Amino acid sequence: MEFSLDEVEDEKPNRAAQKKVDKEAEEEGDLIEQLAAEKEVEGPEEPAPKREETVEEIYAVQQIYALRLKRFELAPSAVFTVNDKYLKHPGLGVAANYWFTNVLALGVNFIWYDWGNPLERGTTLVQQIQRSFRLGVPINEWQFGLWANFTYVPFYGKFSAFRKFLFQWDSYLIGGVGIMRTKPIPVFDPEIREFNWDTRVSFNIGIGLRIFLTRYLTFFTEFRDYMFLEQFENVNVDPANRDDPSTWLAGSSTFFNNLTVQFGFTLFLPIKFEYRLPK
Amino acid sequence: MIKLAQQTLLRISIMVAVASCLVVGDGLRSGTHSASAQEVQVSGPLADAPAVMRLRLWRQNRLQLEPFFAFTFGDDYSRALILGGELRFSFLDWLGIGGWGGGSVANLNTDLTRQVRDKGVTTNRNRLSLPSRENFPEQIGRMNWLAGVDLHFTPFRGKLAMFQKVFFDADLDFFVGAAFVGITERSDTTIEPGPPQFCNPPADDVGCLESQLARSKRTVVAPSFGIAFQAYFKEFMGIAIRWRAFPFKWNTGGTDEAGPNGDFPDGSIDSSDRQRQFNQMMSIGFIFILPPKIKTTD
Repeated sequence: MEFSLDEVEDEKPNRAAQKKVDKEAEEEGDLIEQLAAEKEVEGPEEPAPKREETVEEIYAVQQIYALRLKRFELAPSAVFTVNDKYLKHPGLGVAANYWFTNVLALGVNFIWYDWGNPLERGTTLVQQIQRSFRLGVPINEWQFGLWANFTYVPFYGKFSAFRKFLFQWDSYLIGGVGIMRTKPIPVFDPEIREFNWDTRVSFNIGIGLRIFLTRYLTFFTEFRDYMFLEQFENVNVDPANRDDPSTWLAGSSTFFNNLTVQFGFTLFLPIKFEYRLPK
Repeated sequence: MIKLAQQTLLRISIMVAVASCLVVGDGLRSGTHSASAQEVQVSGPLADAPAVMRLRLWRQNRLQLEPFFAFTFGDDYSRALILGGELRFSFLDWLGIGGWGGGSVANLNTDLTRQVRDKGVTTNRNRLSLPSRENFPEQIGRMNWLAGVDLHFTPFRGKLAMFQKVFFDADLDFFVGAAFVGITERSDTTIEPGPPQFCNPPADDVGCLESQLARSKRTVVAPSFGIAFQAYFKEFMGIAIRWRAFPFKWNTGGTDEAGPNGDFPDGSIDSSDRQRQFNQMMSIGFIFILPPKIKTTD
């Protein structure tokens, strides 16, 4: 590279201007301004393009706290019947679901109801009805229920507690079909009548709330309605055919709603999961 | 067996001691390091930032008016359908006071009431409890009106996505207070043995048929508590789904259930026949908030 005289001469005013800018910048201690001034000095003397302010909005989208996709869910729970005024039906349940999308799962749930003498779980209302109205109340005990269910999660959110702690939760709809094993408790002719467990087809629908304690452990509560056609004891006793088992059951079935509240914990497996991020 | 010279053993011992010191020392340093790492604070613009920024203060210094429809459930003999309203003022976003009230617009008999009306049997042993089955729906207890004052706590609030498309703010409102319930029950009476059996009062009521229809009103004070889910769609409007419990003693069936000493039957219908009922109701209401403009935090 060769330097001509013109270039040297041309450089003098530039250097002088540069020194002036450097001096001013040093006095102000503004490096950014200095760099900007350098650009002004070094740049061509063309009119600067008109600057237009553009506002670019950038949204930060938080990752879903816990993914359900391709995970198994194991959920033990305590079950309480809330609408049977005559007999309490506490149960222990367990559910297993597989989430084949992040909002849709297929699974089963099982509830065991048969704990000791059912009459010990009877409410005082049964005795009141017998005393005050001279009426017997046909009541059935339950052994277990088993259902296959679909679960769908339409609601997902997060709550803050006292503006300090954040926790994630979701609400889901659940429904399915299965069986209930029940049998009448002989009330009207207990000396003769004796019943065996029988299977009823049962449907259920419900809504649940799940609070994530960690990414794999949640607390949940569910409101489920387990519906089935119940077969109660015949309230009439035929003296002529008292020993005939075909006369022991009521002539028609009764549509029964077993409205329950369930509380439990959910364990998602595998415990760890990976977010799949777009490249 | 390999025999090692004394000097070699000494060297090995020194090396092991030095290695042990290094390992232990490094371990200690690691521990110290990890402990100090936990003390690293968030720096930059998020340092000391609150968990939530630009928080919308849905309740603070605002008045909420909520007309609601409610129904009782879990009742033995009669359910009440209630129309009412609630007024609430919140001093803080998580603390407020309110008053509510409503009246029964209808009472629905349960299946048990219908069963007793159709199949109940009256004998000399239960004449006081069921003078006639046809009039049994007239003897049961009913709720006429309800009112109360509550203290409201709203510690949990957040946002909710519905079908991953619609987003709105929501909170959980816990409340506790006192409820005043106006109820109608069967009037006090006593059966005389006869024959024929008759009740008093009303005087010489043969068969207790008049006493079955005699009614008395009273106001019950009961504890009241519950939880509500509230969701807000506009700055001045939302929806509330509320569960409330208000347990108290009353004679729901109008029957002779106990005597003064717990004896049964004692031949009288009076206050000793009142039994504790866990009364519950669900309500759905629309929330209107004043002033309509909402404030936000920094």
